[in-house]
Amino acid sequence: MGIRVGKPDVKPDTTAHVKGVRQGNQGRAHRFQAGHHKDGSADARRSTGVRPKKENPILPVMPNLPPG
Amino acid sequence: MVMEQEAAEEVGRLVEMSWDPITRIIGNLGIYTKIDFANREVVECHSTSSLFRGYSVFMKGKDPRDAGFITSRICGICGDNHTTCSVYAQNMAYGIKTPKLAEWIINLGEAAEYMFDHTLFQDNLVFVDFCEAMVKDTNPGLLRRARTTEAPNAAIHGKRTIADIMEAFNPFEGDVYKEALRVSRTTREMFCLMEGRHVHPSTIYPGGVGTMPSPTVFTDYLSRLLGIVDFVKRAVALNDDVFDFFYEALPGYEEVGRRRVLLGCWGAFQNPEVVDYRYETMNDWGKAMYVTPSVIVDGQLVTTNLVDINLGIRVLLGSSFYDDWMAEEPFVTHDPLGNPVDMRHPWNQTTLPAPQKRDFKGNYSWVMSPRWLDPRTGDHLALDTGGGPFARLYSTALANLVDTPYVKSTGSSVQISLPKGSELPETVLEWRIPPWSNAIERNRARVYFVAYAAAMAVYFIEQAMGRVRGGDTKVFQDFEVPDEAIGAGFHEAVRGVLSHHLVIQKGKIANYHPYPPTPWNASPRDEFGTPGPYEDAVQGMPIFEENGPDDFKGVDIMRAVRSFDPCLPCGVHMYLGKGRTLKKLHSPMFGAGHG
Repeated sequence: MGIRVGKPDVKPDTTAHVKGVRQGNQGRAHRFQAGHHKDGSADARRSTGVRPKKENPILPVMPNLPPG
Repeated sequence: MVMEQEAAEEVGRLVEMSWDPITRIIGNLGIYTKIDFANREVVECHSTSSLFRGYSVFMKGKDPRDAGFITSRICGICGDNHTTCSVYAQNMAYGIKTPKLAEWIINLGEAAEYMFDHTLFQDNLVFVDFCEAMVKDTNPGLLRRARTTEAPNAAIHGKRTIADIMEAFNPFEGDVYKEALRVSRTTREMFCLMEGRHVHPSTIYPGGVGTMPSPTVFTDYLSRLLGIVDFVKRAVALNDDVFDFFYEALPGYEEVGRRRVLLGCWGAFQNPEVVDYRYETMNDWGKAMYVTPSVIVDGQLVTTNLVDINLGIRVLLGSSFYDDWMAEEPFVTHDPLGNPVDMRHPWNQTTLPAPQKRDFKGNYSWVMSPRWLDPRTGDHLALDTGGGPFARLYSTALANLVDTPYVKSTGSSVQISLPKGSELPETVLEWRIPPWSNAIERNRARVYFVAYAAAMAVYFIEQAMGRVRGGDTKVFQDFEVPDEAIGAGFHEAVRGVLSHHLVIQKGKIANYHPYPPTPWNASPRDEFGTPGPYEDAVQGMPIFEENGPDDFKGVDIMRAVRSFDPCLPCGVHMYLGKGRTLKKLHSPMFGAGHG
């Protein structure tokens, strides 16, 4: 004996994905995300589009920590 | 005939007392007892839940990537534990691992959750049973003694007598009660910094986190943490004083809520350097966790291997409102290591709800009976979680594997080092394995685990900041959803063991079974007649309350049940007083009579 339920008017996975919309987990996402590098590091372009190179660290030994 | 007469006479001396629903917990839990007031003992106890959720039913057919967001809604207080556990299970199914920095961020979020939830439950809900107003009503003699008993740790917490501490616990008025509310706000802020939103995280996903790993996020977390460490040090001292006083003033109080030491802990806080989420290496990364997973029987470690823990899980029926699924098709016959997987394992479970009338001689609860099959004896053990912290500290202490600068396991204890705060100096606390598994020790462990989580958070912050200063900002890993896969996640919800078992077929969820702590703790009698932990702990326990049957509050029973931190996602308060059941009303599922 199960629970009697009504006829579903949506499929269980209706809201999961809309065709044509890029999925957050899809591979090579760095192509679409400015300022993110392949190795996982990032530069100032991640945080701003206004003259980002000027916001990078002045020496290469310094870590590049763009603000949120 | 004679037997029946004896039974009738015996029943005549017993008074039925019921609390349904029990308040100051989450969800719908009923405790039905028979009390022998002449001998001051609880003779029989049944725990029941009239709440059916059905997550395992409606998860089928959904996109597996949604699992973390949906299962988070299982609980309104520890939802993030579900998200995290689901992420662990999905990582295994997708064959990916969380980037190291993201793993530290999840650990920091979960540490904040333990601090928040334990503080709120302990100081604002559990302590109502130990406050001056309650003790005045139930044990006036005890309160008189508390007024003349000096508190040993008065130098730390500033309360001269035990009664002063009890007054500070009074709801809405006592200063400990009010300060705990402020602290739980701060710890919630810490949580939100890491996981985006409380209690259903918005930035925790399979493959990583969406938290921006800027140095500011970590310093904001650290400044709030250092703001509450003095509260934690005082809380441990307060707890020790009150609980030691109960042992001293009420000889025999260790029997309240006492049961055999049968504990399960599924481990928390992954070590990013070791974890790869592969089933094949699960024993290795399980042992590297910063809270060691294990099964403990009679004070001895049975195993710390997550694979053994996983394969030993059995979901039994016996007193639950479900039909058996033994005739259904199994989903997983063998695990990735080739070990056979039982039909009663969550991977193979099919939930077949069968609403029916509650009958304490037959089926009486929506909770199933999860058990752990002891490979040495073949017994189906009714493990409990000790409310969470008790099993976590017990397991970590016994396994002797955790060794960090701030938390060290010694084999018989856990040493916790908390940094200097604004008022109190650096403090080393030590939780030692107690001789009993009872209400007082479950409650005491809770405050020690707040300290444990705070100390671990300091370590996690250091590790995360180290990575950020090195230029690491990677917090997400791409992945593809496979057509066919299985996954298992093991974590610790705030109140104990949490596992998520996932089967993906055709890119969708074919089977999904979350097993949170309360099915273990609140389980009814299984098919072998073994009572669940609440029933076991309450049955046979002595009563110390000074009131008789007419104004009985059942505070000792409530202390025993609440020590497990019950969570059965709230209800109105209904007390069937004077030892009589006023009216029997029962609907196994709201709305089931319609349509």
